[in-house]
Amino acid sequence: MAGMESIAYSLRNLKQKKSRSFLTILSIFIGITTIFIFISFGWGLYDYMEDLSSSSSADKIIIQSKGVGAPGFDTTFALTDDDLKVVEKTAGVYEAVGIYFKTAEIQQGTIKKYTLLYGYNPGKPLLMDTFNIEVEKGRELKKGEKGKMVLGYNYQIKDKIFPKALSINDNLEVNGEKIKIIGFYESVGSPQDDAQIYVTHEFVKDLYAGENLSYNWIVARVDVDNLENIITSVEKNLRKHRNLEEGKEDFFVQSFESLMDSYSSALNIVIGFVILIALISVFVSAVNTANTMITSVLERVKEIGILKSIGARNSEIFKIFLFESGFLGFVAGVVGVILGFVLSYIGGCVLANLGWGFLAPHYSFWLFTGCILFATVTGAVSGVLPAMKASKINPVDALRYE
Amino acid sequence: MKNKEVIINLKNVAKYYYMGDNIVKAVDGVDISIKQGEFVAVMGPSGSGKSTCMNLIGSLDIPTKGVIYLDNEDISSLSESDLAVLRGKKVGFIFQQFNLIPNLTVKENVMLPMMFQGESKQERENVAEELLVKVGLGDRMKFYPNQLSGGQQQRVAIARSLANDPEVILADEPTGNLDTKTGKKVIDFLKSLNKEGKTVIMVTHDPNLAKEHADIVYSLRDGKVERITRKNKLRI
Repeated sequence: MAGMESIAYSLRNLKQKKSRSFLTILSIFIGITTIFIFISFGWGLYDYMEDLSSSSSADKIIIQSKGVGAPGFDTTFALTDDDLKVVEKTAGVYEAVGIYFKTAEIQQGTIKKYTLLYGYNPGKPLLMDTFNIEVEKGRELKKGEKGKMVLGYNYQIKDKIFPKALSINDNLEVNGEKIKIIGFYESVGSPQDDAQIYVTHEFVKDLYAGENLSYNWIVARVDVDNLENIITSVEKNLRKHRNLEEGKEDFFVQSFESLMDSYSSALNIVIGFVILIALISVFVSAVNTANTMITSVLERVKEIGILKSIGARNSEIFKIFLFESGFLGFVAGVVGVILGFVLSYIGGCVLANLGWGFLAPHYSFWLFTGCILFATVTGAVSGVLPAMKASKINPVDALRYE
Repeated sequence: MKNKEVIINLKNVAKYYYMGDNIVKAVDGVDISIKQGEFVAVMGPSGSGKSTCMNLIGSLDIPTKGVIYLDNEDISSLSESDLAVLRGKKVGFIFQQFNLIPNLTVKENVMLPMMFQGESKQERENVAEELLVKVGLGDRMKFYPNQLSGGQQQRVAIARSLANDPEVILADEPTGNLDTKTGKKVIDFLKSLNKEGKTVIMVTHDPNLAKEHADIVYSLRDGKVERITRKNKLRI
């Protein structure tokens, strides 16, 4: 049978069984939509990580607590200026800087909130370089500058953090002290990061006077060609300085790249798991498609007999049924991809509005074609057995079938 | 010379069905020889093996024993695919139940056998239209089978059986589902096809129908040929 005709013949059969075809398509496209959404967002996240680990981050290492909890927030752990000196003196380290992470109480009118205050050295903005973020409005802090601060992006937006949007030269109460705003950072894309406050080392000491301050992170710029050896040396020197045995360190030294890699690995596991669930749903829908096709074969036994009696070869019967199931998969793929695109696009917009701009879906030609192809193949594969069954039906028995 | 004229030849053909330990001998050692242009009736009561015989003659089935020649080709050794091609080309089936495809229009039903032979769409359309006009259904081409009467459906089936211009027309109880008047029209049509040179083999349980129209009547009983009756007249 000519290709186009067997296609037309199959399509006519599918049209006859509209409800069943629709339900089969529905079961596949739900899985495909899920896969499309998670891959597009997962891909977007990988892109974001890729951006973070740009060339400016390749030569950075981070020293932080090994304790449990969020990085840099282990209260039993302290990195001192002496530790910083040990790091700075290690061969291959070009420069190093300590960073404070403190919880700050901020207030506008009667509304109080808590956020992360980030104390750094504007002369050595290594972490800013690493994350590649810059001041968008106003200016950077100067080394040692007190009584002033730069805020995260979201403070400029009404009702985002406070009801009233803040501007350059406004004051904001931090830990009960009114501080002048001199700049705003560009959006990072996550609500926590975009709500941070940035002040100088010196001003942290004023704001938290009476507290025994210690660095939460030390970030160092090192010789990128010798990264692994430098990490080992920093570890060794710090261990010696902090009187710790090998293997019992309370800190760890990591390149920014490997930090990102560990996030990537976690991301891989999460995305992989979600896609696995979506694949299971596709598998279930494949079984459903097979069931639809088997029912279709059983319903059309007599028709198969007629076709064979008028000269249809087994291979032609096989093609008719295989095309039908493949076509169901194809339509489900197209619908699934369109729906996945619409939902992920809307989801991306909603997330961006909520301040989760880094959770942006990534679309590519391969994502669209891959999902459609996958759905088509799934449909076709689930139709193989029923199609074989159909093609092997004995014409004599089939013609007798009622 | 005589051999050339024989279009279908069954030699000691048997068809057994195995049901558990039982063997059902549907056809058991049948010899049938049909010459080109003959009108043959295969007759017998229910269970005599006539339908099995028709399936074997029409290459829908292969025998358990014996050989079957269709146009000098031994079909008992052909593959399923070759068998399909052969029957599509050389045999036109007409069934008691009409067996039209309900999803297809009358014209598409007639076009279908030509599709399996790889004919072009234009050719198929031309032939189908011509055949439908011939069976008197030129004005029903776009109808679906369920919009036609039984007699009209059987005429569509006749047109379909002629689609690939086969040498043999196999009609299994072609009037079984029709009233006497419509049935007669169908028989008349088969006779006219026979006059045009087609070999017509009709399976029937009706002795009158067989005796009245066929040149040769093979009477079957219990899977064997009980009697062969030849009409004592020459056809032109």
